[in-house]
Amino acid sequence: MALAAIASLHLGLNMYGPRDVATALFSPSNETTDIVIRNLRVPRTVLACLVGASLGIAGAVMQSCTRNPLAEPGLMGVNAGAAFALVAALSLFGVETFLLLSAIAAAGAVLASLLVFGLALSARAVGPGQVLLAGVTVAALLASLTQMLLVTDEQALEALLFWLAGSFADRPVEVLLPGASLLLLTTVALVPMIRALDALALSDEAAQAIGVSVTRTRLVGLGLAALMAGLCVALAGPVAFAGLLAPHLARLMGARGHAQLLPIAALLGALTCLLADVAARMVIMPGEAPVGVLLALLGAPTLIVLLDRRRAGRAEA
Amino acid sequence: MSRSAAIPALGLGLLMALTAAIGLGSSWIGPERILAVLIGEGSRTDAIIVSTLRAPRALLALLAGAALALAGALLQRATRNPLASPAVLGLVDGGAVGVLVFLLVFSDEANALTVSIAWQPVAAALGAFAAAAVIGILAQRRGWQARELILYGVAVAAFCAAIATLLMIAGPVYRAGQALIWLAGSVHQAHWADVAVLAGVLAIAAPALVLMLRPLDQMLLDGGSAMATGLRPIATRIVALAMAAVLTAAAVSFAGGIAFVGLIAPHAAHRLVGPRAALHLPATALLGATIVLCADIVARLAFAPIELPTGLVTALIGAPYFLYLLLRRPAHV
Repeated sequence: MALAAIASLHLGLNMYGPRDVATALFSPSNETTDIVIRNLRVPRTVLACLVGASLGIAGAVMQSCTRNPLAEPGLMGVNAGAAFALVAALSLFGVETFLLLSAIAAAGAVLASLLVFGLALSARAVGPGQVLLAGVTVAALLASLTQMLLVTDEQALEALLFWLAGSFADRPVEVLLPGASLLLLTTVALVPMIRALDALALSDEAAQAIGVSVTRTRLVGLGLAALMAGLCVALAGPVAFAGLLAPHLARLMGARGHAQLLPIAALLGALTCLLADVAARMVIMPGEAPVGVLLALLGAPTLIVLLDRRRAGRAEA
Repeated sequence: MSRSAAIPALGLGLLMALTAAIGLGSSWIGPERILAVLIGEGSRTDAIIVSTLRAPRALLALLAGAALALAGALLQRATRNPLASPAVLGLVDGGAVGVLVFLLVFSDEANALTVSIAWQPVAAALGAFAAAAVIGILAQRRGWQARELILYGVAVAAFCAAIATLLMIAGPVYRAGQALIWLAGSVHQAHWADVAVLAGVLAIAAPALVLMLRPLDQMLLDGGSAMATGLRPIATRIVALAMAAVLTAAAVSFAGGIAFVGLIAPHAAHRLVGPRAALHLPATALLGATIVLCADIVARLAFAPIELPTGLVTALIGAPYFLYLLLRRPAHV
């Protein structure tokens, strides 16, 4: 993790030696090198960690709450809902402030997840695959609406295209602090739910047996996960697959129970996003790829492997 | 309406949609003036508007719709899965990757093509074949009954879409905005050359489809009875997948990924004329053509003078329908 962060600071269009990075961090001057590192590389690295960790947690919580190993904010239409709400706010109402935009993105995320899970539950379709397909379709629908807004608003298109593919670059520094604190608050809110999530991941009966309200835990858990995903979209655009990869890797590494699963998934999510971000800078030099693309290249094969090994659709949390 | 009367009726509907598509726009050109242009009697302005702008666009929409709809029908029969479609199984994105690679490799500095545009569908077909092959291999391993098939498609599509995005950003081929519109499916840059190539692909596909009628009908039977009637399911599936890939690729390479047509048209045709392939396939093609034509009229006129990508219009209708199909009965996806 630390290694990846260090790499993220060093690598890019211009490679910097450790001495440059150290100088920039500890005795800043006004040379180009320092400015690049302090104003571009550092925020970008912090943001990748933050969003990655949050998506890892959100993915883990979604998977436990729905007992669906395929649940993930990107695949469940949550990100698409946040992105649509955000683009609508930008192009229709010209909203500017980050806090308001985050609130709108989070609201969009929560609504989209309610729509997907509501549809699935109302049809009594609780097969993981069916929920995934419903999510992907709702995502496609929302993405179409988003594109419709963009096509009718030329200025917005150019600016938002890169953001819509997900990226950690060029985010204003001033949004980092409110974004980070909000994400931290959401994470803290999840802590008292750890026991309930453990039980819920097993079965509804197990949860009831230890006096956990199943519906409430599910709603609150999904709500918090959607909120986190919405904040991440506001910060970095819709990034898919990070929330799918991290929890599964965490389980593979032997995380038992949510007290272990959530922090490990957070670390792994941060690590995945950092590495994907470094790769995104490398893959088409001198251009940059959106990090979402790199994650999809990793995540899609993972999804196939998960499908291949699926047993009766039970998440082994 | 009897089942066999449905086909001529659908043909008439398509003709009306075609007249509307050529007539409607910034200025209305009535059917009598379109006819006059066709027999060489029309005014010069009319002739230019019809023959260089509206007619190629309308015909491209029509042909792309027919090709995607037929591909959808083939896939739904080959996989015995009502949710299968060229887009869902990743063939559209595979084709898009093929086209983008082709444009990258065969463009000179001025973004002009160094080879004939007729090769573009070939490149798209290679991409779509690759996607179809991955799906086919995964499905073969799990037995074709597995509904995982669709989910594999989701993963393959996501993977191909990521590659396509990379190529778009890396390549000097198109500005991203244009490529985005093309990926969403659009017929706004139609040329007669595109129409000719796409029509050629469909003309080649037609006799092959006629040969496929019987095995495609047998695919609807359960496994045992199908074998008893002499069906070779694996061979049929491979041929159907390959043909679907070719049809999808031809449509995608000139009109982009127009969403959900390949899903809706076969279902609607099924309700009109029933399952017999000899009626079902022509009805599917006619419906697909009509759907895309009408969607393109909406796309041109809804926010005029701004045009929407045609695929957005079909997605707005198609996605809710897909959800309805998906959730109508608890299937074990």
